[in-house]
Amino acid sequence: MSEHDESFAYQNFDTIFKQVMQELGVSRMVEDYRIKADPDAPYFIISLRMGRARSAIKVSDMALVDPAPGGGKITITDENWAPALLTKLWQLYGRDAVEQLTRFELVVHGADPEALAGLELDPGEELRSKLLDAVWRIFPEGFKVRYNLVDEKVMTIIGTEHDMQEEWMEVARQLHREMGAA
Amino acid sequence: MYEVLLFDGGVYKINELYELIEDVGGFVIQKTQVQVQISVTLAIPEEERPAIEAKSRELGGKLVNVPLAGTEIAVVAPTLGRHHMPHPTCDIAEQLRRAGAITVVMGLARGRGRRTAQISADERAIIEEYDAAVFVLGNFKDCILEHKVKLFQDVTIPVVAVCGPEVGELPSCEAVVSGVGRKVERMRREDEIHKLEEVGQRVEDVIRAKRRELDEDPLFVHPAEVKDRISELEAVQRSLRPAPVVLHLDGLRVKIPYAEWKDQLAAVEVYGRRLGDIARITDSRLGGSTLIRIKTRSEVESS
Repeated sequence: MSEHDESFAYQNFDTIFKQVMQELGVSRMVEDYRIKADPDAPYFIISLRMGRARSAIKVSDMALVDPAPGGGKITITDENWAPALLTKLWQLYGRDAVEQLTRFELVVHGADPEALAGLELDPGEELRSKLLDAVWRIFPEGFKVRYNLVDEKVMTIIGTEHDMQEEWMEVARQLHREMGAA
Repeated sequence: MYEVLLFDGGVYKINELYELIEDVGGFVIQKTQVQVQISVTLAIPEEERPAIEAKSRELGGKLVNVPLAGTEIAVVAPTLGRHHMPHPTCDIAEQLRRAGAITVVMGLARGRGRRTAQISADERAIIEEYDAAVFVLGNFKDCILEHKVKLFQDVTIPVVAVCGPEVGELPSCEAVVSGVGRKVERMRREDEIHKLEEVGQRVEDVIRAKRRELDEDPLFVHPAEVKDRISELEAVQRSLRPAPVVLHLDGLRVKIPYAEWKDQLAAVEVYGRRLGDIARITDSRLGGSTLIRIKTRSEVESS
């Protein structure tokens, strides 16, 4: 461990963590978190226990789907899901096939309206990518060598400057288990 | 010693102020006029302040202390990544600007990390063109004490280090301000504003000490006088860069290319002498600029 008193750093990282989470709008998605660092080694670990993301939803529950010439027309009724829906449609049908008529109306060329209505949107993916973004923002910039432990509930990331050592990875695994990983 | 002040008032009878400044042996450093309002940055011998204050009152203007006017200061962060920028580096630069300094914000190419943190000779040379440098460091005491101090250990100009943890004193720097560290928001809370003021105060102390040092063997002319002459050059008048002539404590930076203009600059006449004889004119590391370092009175007289 470092021979210096690093209490300022821990306190400051705590503030940074909370502010970054707030900025990205995911504060309530994290049930618990721990930050562990040894600047003398050096390594830096962040472990997060993720809360439940919004449960999956079918397109037919958040929009009206009608047949359109050569495809399907979607009229969004719950705008909160619009970004996730667009991303999903782009992934499945490509950007060219998705035509945005207005803020709430989309036409998907070459898509079966029934298949469109049956699509499921999973917000878990979106949550994970936001949390990862937060972690990169918090991590010390020079610690580029990283090792990740991710499961359904817990995400633990350890970073260092040069070679990653087995004993540090073990510290990360230990923390990962303490945070309630399966 | 000269004291730098800012007059903020109207243009009515402003010539009386200019005349008084000249009579007491001072200089006008900068004038900014917006319609009938004018801001004049002036340098006067400190014992003449009461006379200038009386004249400002008579003209209905305000006289504000701008202790860093006539200086150019570099605020250096380990990188330009969001981990080090823009908070609090920009807040510190803004605080120094409010005190009258011209500031530049600079990120090092390889300043992040611990063992990998380094500064190149080029970067050091650029920093040394300024009057002082503020190094904004991070959170870990171990990191600062064992590694980051290397960044400024060979820098020859005065350095103020700003960091998070309480580190007492650091080698190779003139002052340390603790309690800042990494931030992801602007510094706008009361304690943070006090911290910014503390940084401004430390920089002022460092600049005052450097001014005293210069006063022991005074410059042949004050840089503001050279500025007046240089501002008449056509290339300077045509320059579209903001503040084409920037004052330093011991000279000035002129933002016109050295290779093209060095002879014309050297030929400028100041008190019957060529500028080339009373100053060292060199190329600046910042592209398209020329550095002028004025020789001291003893250097000029002995040559």
